[in-house]
Amino acid sequence: MGSDDHDARSVRETYETIASHFSETRAHPWPEVTEFVEAATQVDLGLDLGCGNGRHAAVLHERADQVLALDASRNLLREAREKLDPTWVRLLQGDAARLPLADDCVDLAVYVATLHHLPSRERRRESLDELARVLSPEGEALVSAWSTAHDRFDADAEAETGFDTEIDWTLPGGETVARFYHIYAPAEFEADLAASDCRVIEFEVSSGNCYARISGKSRDEAGAL
Amino acid sequence: MNEDLLDIICCPLDKHDLELDIEERDEDDEIIAGTLTCTECGEVYPIEDGIPNLLPPDMREESPA
Repeated sequence: MGSDDHDARSVRETYETIASHFSETRAHPWPEVTEFVEAATQVDLGLDLGCGNGRHAAVLHERADQVLALDASRNLLREAREKLDPTWVRLLQGDAARLPLADDCVDLAVYVATLHHLPSRERRRESLDELARVLSPEGEALVSAWSTAHDRFDADAEAETGFDTEIDWTLPGGETVARFYHIYAPAEFEADLAASDCRVIEFEVSSGNCYARISGKSRDEAGAL
Repeated sequence: MNEDLLDIICCPLDKHDLELDIEERDEDDEIIAGTLTCTECGEVYPIEDGIPNLLPPDMREESPA
């Protein structure tokens, strides 16, 4: 556990440092997320897992009466608080691999550009299991991660697995802060989903990211495994 | 933090219920400071500046660096 714990904390601390500047550059929701949410029916509770500055929490509120916005970084949650209406948003600081949420409570979730920050395959798979656990029987989620199919990586998108890397964030003063990423091979993303408690409804690679629309496995299915 | 969250949040470690202790509320009845204690393992999670910190303890501590 030791080194993983340190790494997970490091990623959080990186975002604590860059939160304010990062937030300025993250004004617009991703079209894939907007499309997913707009296709959903009206529900009680949404979850933006790895909410950052909350840009997708606002999109979720178009279909969810209340939205949980969860992130490991307190400073990013403060940025989110500035932008979102306290009558419908509920801010939570937490770890995506060990969710502080009851089973079956979430009806609609987005888990966007966060999974790739978890520092080991074991943790990434745990976080997918956790997402499946908190989704209600009718609930659905959109999961995305950066992939080897992106133009900026000189990588074989057909490979079985991706790679770990650090990508610098440059602050306005010129200081750089390294962020951990696991860049997924599409086949690896599908394999991790298949090994998890998520059921994949749809999978695609779009704009250099892997996307999966998922639900939790029904109890019957889980029992049969 | 809005008190209605208690219906859906739980201990990140063992998923048991949390017991709320309130230290400070604001004029809108939001909980600004307090603690959430796991009814099973006894781990205490702080509510700071109105946001509950439900990170597991190993991620909550600041690293020495």
